Amino acid sequence: MSNIGWKDILTDEMPVELAHEIDIFEGQMELMGQGKLDEKVFAETRLRRGVYGQRYDNGQRHDGFESKELDFDDKDRIKGPDTLWHAPGMMRIKVPGGGLTPDQLDVLAQVADEYSGGVLHITTRQDIQLHFVHIEDTPDLMRRLASVGITTREACGNSVRNVTCCHLSGVCRTEVFDATPYSEAFAQFLLGHDDVQDFGRKFKPAFSGCESEACGLVMMHDMGYLAQIKEVDGKPKRGFKVFVGGGLGTVPHQAKVLSEFTPEEEMLPLVQAVARVFARLGEKRNRNRARIKFLVAKLGIEEFTRLVEEERKTLPHDDRWTAYLDTLPQYEEKPAKPPTFLNGQVRSDEFNQWFETNVYSQRQEGYSVVTVNLPLGDLTSQQTWELADIARKYVGDNVRATVEQNIVLRWVSDSDLPGLYESLKAIGLGDSGAGTIVDITACPGTDTCKLGIASSRGLAGELRTRLTAKSASLPDAIKDLKVKISGCFNSCGQHHVSDIGFFGNSRRSGNFKMPHFQVVLGGRWRDNAGSYGLAVGAVPSKTVPEVVDVITNRYIDERAKGETFQDWIGRIGKKEARGMIQPFMQLPDFEQEPDYFSDWGDPRVFSLGDIGIGECAGEVVSLFSMEISPAESEAFEAQIALDENDPKRADSLAYSSMLKAARALVRTQFLDVGDSDDRIVQEFKTRFFDTELFFDQYAKGKFGQYLLERHQNPNPNPDNDTAHRLIEEALLFIEATHACESKVGGNVLVEI
Amino acid sequence: MITPHRLSVKFYFEELTVDAETFIPVFHRWIRENVIPNELLLDVADYKHILDGPAILLVGHEADYVIDFTDGKPGLLYLRKRDLGDNLSHALGTTLSQALHGVKLTENDVELQGKLKLRTDGATIVLLDRLNYPNMASNGDGAGSADSAKVQLTESLAAIFGSDATLTRVDNDAREPLTFELHAPSAPDVDTLLNQIGSIS
Repeated sequence: MSNIGWKDILTDEMPVELAHEIDIFEGQMELMGQGKLDEKVFAETRLRRGVYGQRYDNGQRHDGFESKELDFDDKDRIKGPDTLWHAPGMMRIKVPGGGLTPDQLDVLAQVADEYSGGVLHITTRQDIQLHFVHIEDTPDLMRRLASVGITTREACGNSVRNVTCCHLSGVCRTEVFDATPYSEAFAQFLLGHDDVQDFGRKFKPAFSGCESEACGLVMMHDMGYLAQIKEVDGKPKRGFKVFVGGGLGTVPHQAKVLSEFTPEEEMLPLVQAVARVFARLGEKRNRNRARIKFLVAKLGIEEFTRLVEEERKTLPHDDRWTAYLDTLPQYEEKPAKPPTFLNGQVRSDEFNQWFETNVYSQRQEGYSVVTVNLPLGDLTSQQTWELADIARKYVGDNVRATVEQNIVLRWVSDSDLPGLYESLKAIGLGDSGAGTIVDITACPGTDTCKLGIASSRGLAGELRTRLTAKSASLPDAIKDLKVKISGCFNSCGQHHVSDIGFFGNSRRSGNFKMPHFQVVLGGRWRDNAGSYGLAVGAVPSKTVPEVVDVITNRYIDERAKGETFQDWIGRIGKKEARGMIQPFMQLPDFEQEPDYFSDWGDPRVFSLGDIGIGECAGEVVSLFSMEISPAESEAFEAQIALDENDPKRADSLAYSSMLKAARALVRTQFLDVGDSDDRIVQEFKTRFFDTELFFDQYAKGKFGQYLLERHQNPNPNPDNDTAHRLIEEALLFIEATHACESKVGGNVLVEI
Repeated sequence: MITPHRLSVKFYFEELTVDAETFIPVFHRWIRENVIPNELLLDVADYKHILDGPAILLVGHEADYVIDFTDGKPGLLYLRKRDLGDNLSHALGTTLSQALHGVKLTENDVELQGKLKLRTDGATIVLLDRLNYPNMASNGDGAGSADSAKVQLTESLAAIFGSDATLTRVDNDAREPLTFELHAPSAPDVDTLLNQIGSIS
């Protein structure tokens, strides 16, 4: 192999801090390989870098007859509890607000074909996922993404996940104002923020510009910001109605109003206060009750609000809270072309059909948003760079992923629409029906997810094929119904907020298990995911297409004029709704209908044997463990630098590793220590050195002196000997930090 | 030359009278029966909803077998991901050998026999390694590795497919991986090709 790697080639193109983070992660991988990191700490570490597990990564697979061991080499090597190192995994790539540029699409396409199966998958939270990725490829994958400004940091794990924002923000005809720059500031502020490192579970924020559309779906998020303008002293003032404690999952919760109006300058301190309350009071041990929705429910919204307000008062001031406001006046999207009108051009029937469903007329005259309808949210590498070229030609950087697993091209000059349609069609992305009943959302389900029970994608593909075949004859009443499918009760397919939703489960018939889907009817997509549907019963997976026909036909027949699907379901009630699917709930024997005992797109006799331990919840690891791990990685990196005859870098890394370790220790007592070297050392000295808490029984203060000495007297010209000595000292200091944390008890919050 | 990160070979169907879905149960059976020596097969991925792309993947640890419709040309693509060998020639030998075994296995499969035929007189070879084998224009920086790769691949392929085998570099976009088309008018059958690989490796 060549000695030159992506790390060398992309050095000048990656943001320095991000490049260093990736180096640290690579170091942590090395340490894990050497058995020097705790498996849970490493699992949570890799999750917080977007490196996720995937089905069968415990080394077991059911082949339809029996569960068999997958004979990976080096089976002792793991990347987390019950997760084999060599088993392929998923890489989740965070895309704040779904915003993408053509250059980013190019690189995404390239990493997909070099490290994955050449297919990119858009998720229901505007992320991009690559599957079947080997962990050893992930540092280079991250570097290549970093070179175009993409980070995977905190894409998974117990962290602030991708910040979503309505894909129409800024061009929407009904929004209060463009929430995009606010969501970007929010995402940037919280990325890696000290106060979001100690959650018991993930935290998903969303931004919306308008109340009545689906928009950013704020009602089903941990925290949601809905744009509002209020008159203050006779002047319009921007701000947000803020929601907290929403969420789908097994038990869906509607978000509660935390604040009727939070002015823009309070947007960031408010979330910081919420984060602190969640970190301090949220459940940590029972992961099933660790989302913030449970804390809000437990305390009640009034008490939760009071605690947040109290917390807000104690926050040390941060200039970043308002710094972004200065950049807002400059925020704008630049269309690639001037506005034009689609007037008098010859239109084919195909184009008209596509125009009807896939084109949204922007509030800016002469421009439209085009939805690229991606089947099951997938597109190939080749389609991706071809799409990048189409974007360059028509819209420039104005590309966004959507929560319905599509991509939109914004600011299309209207007279370009026919040409754009032909270009999309030529690359296999010209499907009409975006946002309609054929545009089905599905989570990965049993295809790749460790928690999947039934094949959500298999079912979605089947329904899409069948409904598309008859789409021309579908009555208008059902054309715009939303169908959303999850592979299990965890709701990643957002089935609760669709007209017709499904989530995977199973039932027994004789000696066999049969894949099933629970039918959930009448959820509301509009009004920011305004209400959740009604579970009416489970039907065999193979009957679902017929079930959809029965439900939609009955709705067509019975609905009153103007009656929505939700209203109709509400009117007929749960009993009647269940009655519709009752005939499908009789289970045949295996001998009668063997086909019922396998799932869509998967001929194996159905089994639950492949379900593993999901990583959605991350690992419950103490803040100290998470924060000392990078210190160990840096000390390791320092050794490599020394091997490479670079004593200056080795010295710097060794010192930095001691600082990181000291900071991790200080933060067990004092969260707001900040990042300044002087402050960290001062706090360490006051709290742990002068108090002798850091002292070893025999060595006394010796190990602590290593940091104090190096901080006081940096060596301007370290040579190999001095750097080597400092590395040894750093390693001893880190060990002493561990010992001290164990002795003191760690994570005791004595001061905030 | 340096071993590429990944290397793929795609043989094209001369006849294909079954649809992509047919391969799903076949590939699941291959996993169950562990039909490919020295390779660990893991799962089947269904992407048939994508137009003109990888349709059905038999995902493995060392390699993937793909029923691939890219550019509207159906074929069996073998993608070697790990354990490629010490250099480019070795990687090509490993990849070709396993790809041809895959061809044989597909043509002779109990459920597919007589329903398809793969041609061996041509193939597409892709070096998925933009670091060591950038797909630069022939007069651009980094084009040297492409030229050298072509020379080395041609030499190896001629020894296997016959002296009239030619290799043409595909003039594709620089973002795409370095790609070659093999044209081998007098290529022998699969068994002979496998013997040839065996005798030169």
